[in-house]
Amino acid sequence: MEEKRIKVLIAKPGLDGHDRGAKVIALALKEAGMEVVYSGLHKTIDQIVNMAIQEDVDVIGLSIMSGAHIPLTRKLMEKLKEKGIQDKKVFVGGVIPSKDIKLLKEMGVEGVFPGGTPIDDVIEAIKASVKK
Amino acid sequence: MDPKAQELAERIISGDETVAARVISMIEDGEEEGFLVLSTLYPRTGGAFKIGITGSPGAGKSSIIDRLAYLYGKSGKKIGIIAIDPTSVKSKGAFFGDRLRFKSAEKVEGVFIRSMAHRGFSGGISKAAFGAECVLDALGKDIIIVESVGVGQTELSIYLISDIVVTVFTPDFGDEIQLMKAGLLEIGDVVVMNKMDMPNAEEKAKDLIAYIGDLKKDAPPFIKCSAKKGEGIELLLEVLEEKRREKLGMRREKVKALLLTFIKEELSRGIEKMVEEDPKFNEILHSVQSGKIDPYSASVHFVSELLKDGKMEDYKWRRKG
Amino acid sequence: MSSARYIKNEKDQILDVILESGIHVKPVYTPKDLEEIGFSYEEDLGDPGKYPFTRGIHPLGYRSRAWTTRQYTGFGTPKETNERFKFMISHGQTGLNVAFDLPTQMGYDSDDPMAEGEVGRVGMAVDTIRDFEIAFEGIALDRIGVGLTINAVASIILAMFQAVAEKYGYDPKTVSATPQNDILKEMIGRGAWIFPVEHGVRLVGDIIEYSMKVMPKTNPVSVCGYHIRESGATPAQEIAYAFLIAFAYIDNVCKRGYDPDEFVGGITFNFNVFGNMWEQIAKFRAARKLWARLLRERYNVKKERNLFLRGIFGGGGYGLTKAQPENNIVRGAYYALVAALSGAQTTALCSYDEAYTIPTPHSALISLRTLQILMDEAGLRDTVDPLAGSYFIETLTKQMEEKILEEMEKIEKYGGIIKAVSEGYIQRMLARQAYEIERAIERGELLKVGVNIYVEGEPKEVQLHEYNEESARMQIESLREIRRTRSSSEVKRTLKELEKATRDGKNVMPYLLECCKAYCTLGEMTNVFREIFGEFQEPSLF
Ligand code: B12
Ligand SMILES: Nc1nc2c(ncn2[C@@H]2O[C@H](COP(=O)(O)OP(=O)(O)O)[C@@H](O)[C@H]2O)c(=O)[nH]1
Ligand SMILES: [Mg+2]
Repeated sequence: MEEKRIKVLIAKPGLDGHDRGAKVIALALKEAGMEVVYSGLHKTIDQIVNMAIQEDVDVIGLSIMSGAHIPLTRKLMEKLKEKGIQDKKVFVGGVIPSKDIKLLKEMGVEGVFPGGTPIDDVIEAIKASVKK
Repeated sequence: MDPKAQELAERIISGDETVAARVISMIEDGEEEGFLVLSTLYPRTGGAFKIGITGSPGAGKSSIIDRLAYLYGKSGKKIGIIAIDPTSVKSKGAFFGDRLRFKSAEKVEGVFIRSMAHRGFSGGISKAAFGAECVLDALGKDIIIVESVGVGQTELSIYLISDIVVTVFTPDFGDEIQLMKAGLLEIGDVVVMNKMDMPNAEEKAKDLIAYIGDLKKDAPPFIKCSAKKGEGIELLLEVLEEKRREKLGMRREKVKALLLTFIKEELSRGIEKMVEEDPKFNEILHSVQSGKIDPYSASVHFVSELLKDGKMEDYKWRRKG
Repeated sequence: MSSARYIKNEKDQILDVILESGIHVKPVYTPKDLEEIGFSYEEDLGDPGKYPFTRGIHPLGYRSRAWTTRQYTGFGTPKETNERFKFMISHGQTGLNVAFDLPTQMGYDSDDPMAEGEVGRVGMAVDTIRDFEIAFEGIALDRIGVGLTINAVASIILAMFQAVAEKYGYDPKTVSATPQNDILKEMIGRGAWIFPVEHGVRLVGDIIEYSMKVMPKTNPVSVCGYHIRESGATPAQEIAYAFLIAFAYIDNVCKRGYDPDEFVGGITFNFNVFGNMWEQIAKFRAARKLWARLLRERYNVKKERNLFLRGIFGGGGYGLTKAQPENNIVRGAYYALVAALSGAQTTALCSYDEAYTIPTPHSALISLRTLQILMDEAGLRDTVDPLAGSYFIETLTKQMEEKILEEMEKIEKYGGIIKAVSEGYIQRMLARQAYEIERAIERGELLKVGVNIYVEGEPKEVQLHEYNEESARMQIESLREIRRTRSSSEVKRTLKELEKATRDGKNVMPYLLECCKAYCTLGEMTNVFREIFGEFQEPSLF
């Protein structure tokens, strides 16, 4: 049936090799009826932006456990701006200290989901953000 | 002509990937705007060579596409890849796994990769795949490769939207033989035995050639390759190019069949939607349920009424929002 | 965390307990259970130090030697890490386990654009042997065994280690390093892979072959069930996959014409301790027994001491929570108790700040003290394998043995571990299991204190390790200095020879050693491999 489906890119930027959380989220979003592209490990921000454009996703979700979430997210936001992309919502999950959440949101990140977040909260937030 | 659609179409023709990607989504989602753009673009398409790849999950379709795209790309061609994955019946969600495989393809200039869920469309592709091909064609791609879902027994639709179809087998092709026997498997314009690096592969290749020979008089070209080692892909490319001209001649036939397929789809969907709300339908349904009239006669009766009323016109594109 | 599932009635009485590996626990065990499983002391246990080593590999256990403590340590520059090593040793730690930063693990120099933002962040940055000179300055390498948690580029790092040991005047024959050097588990669930499977396995084989000749006290591989478990595996799968991986490495070396008895003694393991404690204890005992038996059956290994399952049994990070972080100190104590009751040779714990960032000296020291309390205060050194003979433990050990074999068989049926890893069969299964675990926690089916029972409000802030960007800058500075001052012709020459040896299929270790001595960078050496081997193709999910 033709109808709007939410399409999400779950991306692993940088050299981080943790994929348990990213895969759990990817699977959860699929089960929640979304179309999910998984980037695979070790992607550069350029590769991620390129994927997001070609796949025309509604949401870019970064999963970052390496502690490098600030520089990586900043780079993503800059790249998106440079390419004139405004319609894609950015979410960040992983090991994110609470003091960094504000900083990430100031960069334009729509939602931050550190470890321990119930999966359904992630699903709801993505659904709500795409409706907006 | 819709000015916005016109503008989007022009941007695609000038090579804007972002717009192309957006318009593909519109077509997937059934947004009217997308079809307006498509109809603007359509007369300017037809330049790209469209290659379909089919075969069981895990046969190595994506791996072959990766190598093939890399080779084509190196020779200066611009490549579009459309990888179609199944939609989960239960959740309606989908997971795109092929993109991970296109690692070397990603490295060449001008490769555009798009994953699409088949969203319940029959025949191993998504309904929007043809539209996506047109958009990529207009975007300036020389070669468009479509990877079919590869789970169905009848991957027939891939034939309608491709100029040439490659069917991929592996040395353990047991299940496919059953499908061939039952006539459920189209053998394709080119047959590839992938994973030739596996033990016993040569022997198995011989078996498969024999089977196909029994099945068809003019058996299609048979190519042995190993996507893993990158062997046999040059040959595949050569064969594809050799057959190109001959195959392009079949476009008129294919587009006719595609048109018919779409009409049937549109009709059945339109009717389904409409019928539920139609008082006459409910009346007839009641008669059937209470045993007054048999479903055969009821259906003939209902359709003739429907066509008379001109109700079909009410059915339109789903609008956004 | 309760990793087991509890079936209860309305009165909170437990009707059934189902362990992760699928075993049902009974309310009471009696001699009848032992009878049913056909338990025999001689065949199933034997005395400690006797085949099949279920009770341990040493006749006197911790009486003759307490376990080695080896907290995972490393951050920032080699200098900062060296100070932390010395801090830990001065507090009684008896071994080292080096954590490298991600650029090092992935073979990138600190000034590579790919390393941006990651230098020294989650481990020590290493570019050339100069960094090892600093990191191991003042450490008695003939007395302190050094774990090197490095995999894809283990060959390079081990060569650096040898070069430095020699430079500091140690005979390589006397130093004991343990490079992790387990590439297949990287592909299953640790993600620090670079090269395709076959080339990765070849490098593992090169290290084993080289160590047996040049550094006989070095354990060339530590096969990690640990990370597989952290990716969502059950305890039975953890052991099963680790064994199959170990066999893949053994096969590689046997193909070079060696007798297993020449090298299998150097293969060690890294296993995980979290989850239901009985299941873990039974897992370790079953693993010891099976390893000995399988080595005999499959490889005809003859020397008794080559049949020992040696390794680190370390507290798992996944069991620790972000909520109520101090509870993790208590969890760590239980994990360590399990490790001790299971006869671990070496151990370590994740610290209470596990869910936040890499440990501070404070949190690392609490972990070390936890281990010391068990050995020195609580009585865990008193007697070997204190749980032996328990109706429950022996029954469970036997059941675990069967479960492990079942899991091994599944993979062998699929076509073997190499195929299962290359095609993502295991990865897909673990991802699915990980998802189910997360959902079960949310539904309250797996209980986790502070997470889904006894929940408190907002978490308290804990004191955390802070990343110092200045360290990264200094590291890059020092790398540039080396590039300026080293002999570039020597660099070129040694790299060229490495390239040739690699292409010719020779053992790369001697060539790497020369490169290291010429101050080639890690990135330069890795690039030689990248060029020849290409990259691993990550299998797709679902
Ligand atoms: C499991 C684990 C591992 C496993 C990884 C298994 C795997 N296949 O992923 C193993 C053992 C291999 C491992 C290795 C390492 N680890 Co580790 N690991 C962990 C651990 C214990 C749990 C992480 C986890 O998987 N949790 C379960 C999943 C389901 O939760 P999650 O990932 O947090 O995801 C949740 C949310 O974050 C969110 N989410 C996640 N992604 C996304 C994406 C989007 C878009 C959204 C919306 C939400 C979202 O949703 C999920 C559900 O709530 C954490 C500590 C901890 N307890 O958190 C350390 C931890 C992440 N590891 C750490 C480190 C340093 C490493 C190493 C780099 C150590 C080293 N120097 O070698 C290595 C190397 C790995 C590599 N190549 O990068 C550090 C990171 C430090 C930091 N950030 O400052 C931690 C915090 C431990 C510590 N305190 O030192 N690790
Ligand atoms: N041995 C071998 N394995 C291959 C070859 N081509 C692909 N594969 C593996 O087969 C699996 C499936 O490949 P993929 O391209 O994703 O198949 P698809 O589902 O048909 O697209 C992957 O694990 C590939 O690594 C080949 O030529 N030889
Ligand atoms: Mg595919």
